[in-house]
Amino acid sequence: MTWSATARGAHQPDNTAFTQQRLPAWQPLLSASITLPLFFCAGLAFIGLGLGLYYSSNGIVELEHDYTGDAGSSNCSVCAAEGQGRAPPPPCSCAWYFSLHELFPGPVYLYYELSSFYQNNRRYGVSRDDAQLSGLPSALRQPANECAPYQRSATGLPIAPCGAIANSLFNDTFSLWHQHQPAGPYVEVPLDRAAIAWWTDYHVKFRNPPLVNGSLALAFRGTAPPPNWPRPVYELSADPNNTGFVNQDFVVWMRTAALPTFRKLYARIRQGDYSAGLPRGAYRVNISYNYPVRAFGGHKLLIFSNISWMGGKNPFLGIAYLVVGALCILVGFAMLVVYIRYQDQTDDDDDDE
Amino acid sequence: MLLGATAIEDKLQQGVPETIALLTLANIKIWVLTGDKQETAVNIGYSCKMLTDDMTEVFIVTGHTVLEVREELRKAREKMVDSRTVGNGFTYQEKLSSSKLTSVLEAVAGEYALVINGHSLAHALEADMELEFLETACACKAVICCRVTPLQKAQVVELVKKYKKAVTLAIGDGANDVSMIKTAHIGVGISGQEGIQAVLASDYSFSQFKFLQRLLLVHGRWSYLRMCKFLCYFFYKNFAFTMVHFWFGFFCGFSAQTVYDQYFITLYNIVYTSLPVLAMGVFDQDVPEQRSMEYPKLYEPGQLNLLFNKREFFICIAQGIYTSVLMFFIPYGVFAEATRDDGTQLADYQSFAVTVATSWPSLQPLAVYFAILFAMHSNGLFDMFPNQFRFVGNAQNTLAQPTVWLTIALTTVVCVMPVVAFRFLRLSLKPDLSDTLVRKKQKAQHRCMRRVGRTGSRRSGYAFSHQEGFGELIMSGKNMRLSSLALSGFTARSSSSWIESLRRKKSDSASSPSGGTDKPLKG
Repeated sequence: MTWSATARGAHQPDNTAFTQQRLPAWQPLLSASITLPLFFCAGLAFIGLGLGLYYSSNGIVELEHDYTGDAGSSNCSVCAAEGQGRAPPPPCSCAWYFSLHELFPGPVYLYYELSSFYQNNRRYGVSRDDAQLSGLPSALRQPANECAPYQRSATGLPIAPCGAIANSLFNDTFSLWHQHQPAGPYVEVPLDRAAIAWWTDYHVKFRNPPLVNGSLALAFRGTAPPPNWPRPVYELSADPNNTGFVNQDFVVWMRTAALPTFRKLYARIRQGDYSAGLPRGAYRVNISYNYPVRAFGGHKLLIFSNISWMGGKNPFLGIAYLVVGALCILVGFAMLVVYIRYQDQTDDDDDDE
Repeated sequence: MLLGATAIEDKLQQGVPETIALLTLANIKIWVLTGDKQETAVNIGYSCKMLTDDMTEVFIVTGHTVLEVREELRKAREKMVDSRTVGNGFTYQEKLSSSKLTSVLEAVAGEYALVINGHSLAHALEADMELEFLETACACKAVICCRVTPLQKAQVVELVKKYKKAVTLAIGDGANDVSMIKTAHIGVGISGQEGIQAVLASDYSFSQFKFLQRLLLVHGRWSYLRMCKFLCYFFYKNFAFTMVHFWFGFFCGFSAQTVYDQYFITLYNIVYTSLPVLAMGVFDQDVPEQRSMEYPKLYEPGQLNLLFNKREFFICIAQGIYTSVLMFFIPYGVFAEATRDDGTQLADYQSFAVTVATSWPSLQPLAVYFAILFAMHSNGLFDMFPNQFRFVGNAQNTLAQPTVWLTIALTTVVCVMPVVAFRFLRLSLKPDLSDTLVRKKQKAQHRCMRRVGRTGSRRSGYAFSHQEGFGELIMSGKNMRLSSLALSGFTARSSSSWIESLRRKKSDSASSPSGGTDKPLKG
């Protein structure tokens, strides 16, 4: 059988640049004239940025207090001892006294911090029903299976809001009192509890179910609160705009933290006389100690802080940038030395060939 | 009286000697297995420069019995070993262990060639002698097997495959090459005059032998390079991606919580990291194609398995682990005490997930990533499927924070800079051939490699009879009776000098290498 020219054409591969490996290509050359300036510039930029970040972070004032109540550490050890081994722990109040010698520049933010609390545990993190929390009436009385064992109450009613995250809502409350003059009366400092959560959270993600006859309580009829809650969800706050699923504290708590030690915003202090900050004087924080953390070795802290463009006090970023910048410059110098030493050698090789 | 003469022209294709020379420089050993008779095969060998006049010796093995073949092989080995002036005399036994042979024969000085006949090959391929034959043949620069049956062609290929850790390529054009093509690792068929049986049985086929050099040095080399880079890249990205979960385990109570959004995990391999990896696996070139052909030495890394072996694998795993450490611990360090610039929470799980996912240094087409990210975190999808799209609001909230972008920038730079530094240092201290070539691409093109291929203006290679052949025999009249008239007419032409020179050559030449060509021509 002869192999005719026409038959060959049918089997011939395409004579394109792609199939015949003739595509143009660019081989990037890591030459010294590109790499060394790159390293030095990056190093200098990082060092500059690092210094700026570090000083910006250093300018932030922070005041914290561990009120877990370990023996002898604070006033709240009485409450801690009382609550030992009893669930739910009995209501108890304690106080933290501190004084400021100079103005604490504002606006001041009040956080509570928990440690060894694994909100990032997988089983815990899926134990919620976002459809129910978004206010869908159909989902309100059919909580998702992931919420088990906090899906239905002991009497068989659906729990709203269901799940372990909602059940473990942080329920300590704080109030701040300021004593202008020594031995004078304590005046309450107004705490702005509005807008402490993300806007998208309390406007999109969390919505109350439609009101029934204008009443939120009726909307939640036929559901039960989570086992650990003293009050149902529609009574979380006296303010009708801040109750139900859109309660700010609830929304803040439901945004689970990434790490076992985390802080969540409690209030802003920016109203009235305190808009410029906390003036000097003695202060007292009244804490209603409800939340039990000692059983798992956790700690509760109260933190006053102010904020900059990069958030709270965070020296890590500044230090990291400084370190990386310094390393870049160091490595750049090492590469320069290597280049100078071996460049002569390479040039000789080139001339020889 | 001489009625006429017939000549059979079996032209070599264009470019064959150059191809063979180039492939020899690329450290590829070339053996010829042909069904032609010995003289033809030897002439072809000279014609395509496999055998040269400079060769120290060309061994001919034409024994008819096992003993004769063994003896001839032994003599050949002796001569090769003697040339190295190995002083220690060691006696040859009937069976020699391969290791001893290899160590001696691997470094012979001088160039040798082996020509072996089909009937001798049948003896040499027997189980007790095949190793000996193989070692002797591998010590030679060129091996020509003539009068080989198709089965023996396959057996020779099988022999090389079995004992030598080498990849074999068989190229042929006829039906008698099919078994050899199928046996070899790579079979190449030449479509041409002899039909398409070879083409049908082969892995690759083309029409001219010279295309083999492009197949190997350009397509094959780049294919190996791309495959190795692709594999390394694939392992690296998946290792880095997965090890982040390992580190996160220490901080989430080992509860198998994922660091990333579920959709990021789903789309990671398919959408986000597929395009760059595929692009590299399809288009990557380390040197331009002309350079690949000019410098056959570039072929070596593939032969020595330098680009993807255990060491390279562990290096890319180590890189993956290093990247995962940075990818997790830098955001961890930042988020340990971070808040947003309006004081609200930044260190929540979903923001952490978005930050770590966005930190992936240049592993994803950014536009695609951000498009999908914002879509997944949009209100619309959340309204439709609240439980599936829980990350609502995350993209715009998290990515509006300067802290997040600073973290991402830091992670990217710290992942990339060491690699750049290593590459630069390696280029300065220990550049390999491809690096040097890229650096010198402005220099003159004409290097010594070009000189090898004398791109002749000849359009075809004729196999000239390298020995005198039978002309003299014919003219002597021993085979046929010539009338003096015809003879005088013949000698009147200028070819009389040709006969004279032949006569002179015969008396001058040393012992003829072939033992059997003086037999009268039969048939």
